[in-house]
Amino acid sequence: MDGAAVALDRVRVVLGGHAAVQDVSLAVPAGQRVALVGPSGAGKTTLLRLCTASVAAESGSVRVLGADLATASAADLRAVRRRIGSVHQQLDLVGPLRAVHNVNAGRLGAWGRARALWSLARPAEVDAARRALALVGVAGKMFERTDRLSGGEQQRVALARVLVQDPDLILADEPVSSLDPARARDVMDLLVAVAADGRERTLLVSLHDFELARQSCDRVVGIRGGRVAFDLAAGAVTDEIGAALYRLTTG
Amino acid sequence: MTAARDLGGLTEHEFGFVARTRPRRRDGSAWPCPWPWRRRLWLAGLVAAVGWSLWSAGVGRREIVNPGGWTIFARFWKAAATPDLSGGFLRQTWEGALTTLAFAVLGTALAVAIGVVGGVLSSETWWRRDRARRGGRTSVSRGWLAGRAVWGLPRGVHEAVWGLFLVNVLGRDPLVGILAIAIPFGAVTAKVYADLIDESARGQYDALRLAGAGRVASLAYGVFPVVLPDLASYAFYRFECSIRSAVILGMIGAGGIGLQLSLSFQSLRYREMWTLIYALVAISALADVWGASLRRSSSRRRVGASLRAGAALVVASALHLGPDLGRLASAGTRALLADLAAASFPPSLPAGGWGGLVRRSVETAQMSVLAVAIAAALAVAAAFVAARGGGGAGRRATAAAARLLLLVTRAIPPPVWALLALFVLFPGPFPGAVALGVYNFGILGRLMTEVVENLDDRPHAAIAAAGAPRLSAFAYATLPLSLPRFAAYALYRWEVAARETVVVGVVGAGGLGRLLEQQRAAFDYGGMVGTALALVAVSILIDLISAAARRALR
Repeated sequence: MDGAAVALDRVRVVLGGHAAVQDVSLAVPAGQRVALVGPSGAGKTTLLRLCTASVAAESGSVRVLGADLATASAADLRAVRRRIGSVHQQLDLVGPLRAVHNVNAGRLGAWGRARALWSLARPAEVDAARRALALVGVAGKMFERTDRLSGGEQQRVALARVLVQDPDLILADEPVSSLDPARARDVMDLLVAVAADGRERTLLVSLHDFELARQSCDRVVGIRGGRVAFDLAAGAVTDEIGAALYRLTTG
Repeated sequence: MTAARDLGGLTEHEFGFVARTRPRRRDGSAWPCPWPWRRRLWLAGLVAAVGWSLWSAGVGRREIVNPGGWTIFARFWKAAATPDLSGGFLRQTWEGALTTLAFAVLGTALAVAIGVVGGVLSSETWWRRDRARRGGRTSVSRGWLAGRAVWGLPRGVHEAVWGLFLVNVLGRDPLVGILAIAIPFGAVTAKVYADLIDESARGQYDALRLAGAGRVASLAYGVFPVVLPDLASYAFYRFECSIRSAVILGMIGAGGIGLQLSLSFQSLRYREMWTLIYALVAISALADVWGASLRRSSSRRRVGASLRAGAALVVASALHLGPDLGRLASAGTRALLADLAAASFPPSLPAGGWGGLVRRSVETAQMSVLAVAIAAALAVAAAFVAARGGGGAGRRATAAAARLLLLVTRAIPPPVWALLALFVLFPGPFPGAVALGVYNFGILGRLMTEVVENLDDRPHAAIAAAGAPRLSAFAYATLPLSLPRFAAYALYRWEVAARETVVVGVVGAGGLGRLLEQQRAAFDYGGMVGTALALVAVSILIDLISAAARRALR
């Protein structure tokens, strides 16, 4: 182990004929909280998807939690994925299931098939699920159907799923993009709390909100046009740097 | 909006056009959770209904399988490898296919015309009073409710029954087949179109009305441009249904491939039957591909091209069939209609009186329960196999084979399935249920395959990305996301199956259809009306139960 949770080395990704990510090198030490910021279409989502091998690098190397994703066997890849928790923009919850099952979906990588199926009839590890839901503030909604919860409650269920998964690395793709500033603040605080629950986990989160990135994370990486525009400690990021990142290119 | 939903239980799920999302309250919050025990009660009730129907059909209690029929049954299937490909018969098949298609085209065209006019006239949008009332209640006038109620009866009577009645009035003329399709399908289309108009964005229509435009102009500028792709897409779906109906109507005398099928069957020429079946499979496949391309990218250009092609087909079909429009208003028709009305009213009871009618009605309901249970069980399994997407060459080949199986099962009309079932099963409601079950398996399987293909794959991807085994990810994402829609389709199809029992009944497979055929053979018109009304009552009852079950299981 070299101590880095994520190590990208001169990575290039081509999607649909154009380069979504070009020549990106990025090392995230274990336990660090890193925000990826940048305009829409900059390649933030692609960078996060690289880490679960959901997209493949054209060139360069991707090492996540000690494994080289390009050469990892299927079993190795599954072992790595089990240690990665994801929170997506669209939440990706299963609407017709009760909240407890959506939380327990985080345990499927650890559970055997028989246990997973039986749990749909008689929910297993209910205490852990209840504790996770309590931590994010929706303990009372455990047995409600997920699609009958409000948007904010669903967001919390998605976070509880990550909690029970107990991953080493958390990837969050614009988790607050559809929320008003106060709620965004709230959810980011929860995300940070989830990352710090019990031990320090590595957090890699893509954000639009510059201010939020500075407040919640240790380090801010600016992405623009598929390249790293800057890579600074949170305290060193100024408003001018942020404005330059989002400026529209002219001509 | 909620009013349209409550009344439109059928349309909402019929093709998934209208409401793909769960209704939300005005403030955007989700509806409260219904009591879970209510869902369990419904599930238990549905399972009990299947058990009761099986028991009544004598499954496990008496001899069902008729071993004497196996050789002839096997002979039919063996002929599949050697269809009759002689020049003369191929020419006949081609002629028959054209006639069947022409019936379907003209029936659909008329149904769509009825649908557009009727849909507008029974839409809430048309009848809504544009002046607010005190208390802020949006109100619709009585005209709207009347418009809604009008469509119940024609929709509840199966095309085949309309055909049997119309032939007595109009005589042997292509008009019979066309109207037999257009009347019930026009009623369904009107209801669906009304919902589509009401569910489309109101803002533009209201803005035009506020600016002083008339209702027709506001519809033409504010609503139709938005809903046109959906209207066209639904019209095409109706066309696919019309082809199947045209075959069935052919079997009871309208001509075309259906008539040839029953002639070949009666003279035991199975090789000819397979030529006809393959022709039907080809027609269905063609319609499928056309419809799928229309649905997938309802781009304006493609809709426009399809509409023009449709118009050309209507003209060609009218020339091919040459219906005698003069008959509609001739003195002879009026006299026959008067005779028929005199002979039919008052409706009378069958030989067994009320008891006999109720017994047959219950038998019909049980047939439909069994048919849908068989169809749904097979279709759920087939849908996951047949769905496109992913996998290696082996997986893709299996999926293609499954889709072909579904295509063939729904291309063979239910009366043929019933005749086949009667080879190997003793007569009664059970072979009828099996025949309808196999046929509806083809239709439900295809609808369910589309559900799987259109499923949001992100929840599955998220769970798989966290390292879940494939079976676990399937059980936690794919299955729970598709089952509610599967249930909705199966319950919707239940009502259709109840109406379809009549077409397997006429070949002797039991229920009210059998009774209707006996009364027809005896020229007992009063009895036929009574039986037809009983059929309508059964299908309305099932529609109500099915709508309630869909609401509870949603």
